Amino acid sequence: MPALQRDTGWGPMQAYFEAARAAHAALSQAGFPVELHQPNLPVFAAEGEAKELAAAHKEGKHLWRGDAYVQLADRGRIVGLCRFLRDQLAYQQIIDVTAVDHAAEDKELWGMYAFLSLTTKLRLSVKTMIPKDDCRIDSIVPVYPGANWHERETAEFYGITYTGHPDPRHMLLPDDWVGNPLRKDYKFPEEYHGISCV
Amino acid sequence: MERAAPSPGLLQPGQREIELDVRTQDVEINMGPQHPSTHGVLRVLIRADGEIVTAAQSHLGYLHRCAEKIGENVDWLQYLPYTDRYDYLAAMNNNLGYSLAVEKLLGIEVPPRGQYLRTLIVELNRIASHLIAFGTYGLDIGAFTPFFYAFRERELLLDIFEKICGARLTYSFIRPGGVFNDAPPGWLQHVEDFCRQFEKKWPEYWDLLVENKIFIERTANVGIIPRDLAIAWGCTGPMLRGSGVDWDLRRDQPYLVYDRLEFKVITGVGYRGTVGDCFDRNYVRMLEMVESLKMVRQCLDQMPEGEVSHPDVGLIIRPAPGEAYVGIENPRGELGHYVVSDGSKIARRVRVRAPSFCNLSLVEHIMPGTMLADAVAIIGATDIVIGETDR
Repeated sequence: MPALQRDTGWGPMQAYFEAARAAHAALSQAGFPVELHQPNLPVFAAEGEAKELAAAHKEGKHLWRGDAYVQLADRGRIVGLCRFLRDQLAYQQIIDVTAVDHAAEDKELWGMYAFLSLTTKLRLSVKTMIPKDDCRIDSIVPVYPGANWHERETAEFYGITYTGHPDPRHMLLPDDWVGNPLRKDYKFPEEYHGISCV
Repeated sequence: MERAAPSPGLLQPGQREIELDVRTQDVEINMGPQHPSTHGVLRVLIRADGEIVTAAQSHLGYLHRCAEKIGENVDWLQYLPYTDRYDYLAAMNNNLGYSLAVEKLLGIEVPPRGQYLRTLIVELNRIASHLIAFGTYGLDIGAFTPFFYAFRERELLLDIFEKICGARLTYSFIRPGGVFNDAPPGWLQHVEDFCRQFEKKWPEYWDLLVENKIFIERTANVGIIPRDLAIAWGCTGPMLRGSGVDWDLRRDQPYLVYDRLEFKVITGVGYRGTVGDCFDRNYVRMLEMVESLKMVRQCLDQMPEGEVSHPDVGLIIRPAPGEAYVGIENPRGELGHYVVSDGSKIARRVRVRAPSFCNLSLVEHIMPGTMLADAVAIIGATDIVIGETDR
């Protein structure tokens, strides 16, 4: 049996880069304020290269690895962007809507959207910044109904208000839960309805 | 002379009784959280007009264990046992999804034998999971017998898993960098014996449940999900393929060694009713078991010798800063892991995109208009695992 090639099984990971590049070109042509982000580390490091990279990492050089993504500068245009992706670039499915809080002292959250195209077999991630002091963004449920529960979940865990969401109830937490557990500055409650949590 | 009005209940000859004004009251029914057909602790609030469901609303969170929060507080490797616990019927697949995401950040690739072992065991786990789906689906709509047959065969699979990793339900066998250990002597033979046994039993299940007249009456043309609805709502896995969409991540975005294996992607064809009904979803799962068995056989044939794990991955993992999304084909659909690393030994974000969660979100929209008894058939055909929807 021949040894596996380095890129065997990771075709879709390469497809990420192509997808992000193509989507970025199409979106900027349509007038969306988007930036293309590409990692500066290869997805798969060759033998030996990995050790050099690890050494560089220890020296504090900021090297970034992973998927390429498209960043939207104006979060007010997210619904328009989704409609463009669905209708023009054939991204039929919303796979995930989530957020990332990098640090308690950060002023912004990352809003993250993952799309999948069943016809072109490409994946695309779109990010946009959501400021913590004005934590709201338009809901994309009118374009992708599948975002419904994802947005409800992200809303309760990060305190993001999805404006225009048809059903803004809590998803997994109890209705009277206080705070947004996945924020980095979240304080765990001492008790909940008389149940001690410490 | 005036005729006296007929007294109620006494019909004149040739007169038909027509009830023009029968009023039924809307009833609110709490299905669950402790209802056997909800496969765990799912609560569905159903409003019914007589026997017709007019509205449904799912309430989740009874099994929420803060998996994503825990992910931000433990080491990369320490998080692995938590992945077992989202979809506990297919724990190997969950391990795999998480491991692939971490490996993508690490920039390493597992040696060939490790990849083949992973593929082999993940497909065995898929058979075990579909066996439960098939057994409990029969149970949901009144066929008790298939459940015992399904569990008998699953028991053999659990023995196989126990032999290689010591656990029967929560394996933590596939881990970042490879697998926990190589197959013990005789294990591959054990798998081959299982294949021989299973291929004889499978036609029995088909006759027992799928071709059963009562089963067909209960599931065909019930809970139809049209193609476009399934796509728009983010359905994946057998739920999407049941609606006739030809999409399988194993073929369309291959990972591991799936591009070296030959298999068919099963889609719903409306075998006994309409494309996208409950019957079709079960039909897809039934035939997928056969495809998985084929893949297991091919893995056994092609199994190379050599290392099973990457030598550089130890107990403390420090991936390069960055983020990665890896989606794999779980028995229930696309399981996605979105991980963000800041270069330390603890993740900054572990996001789990659970297939049952997305598939379930559509259910409350196809329920209105169906009979109350069909609500059970619809939930059963979705094949949810609450550990996964609530995480």
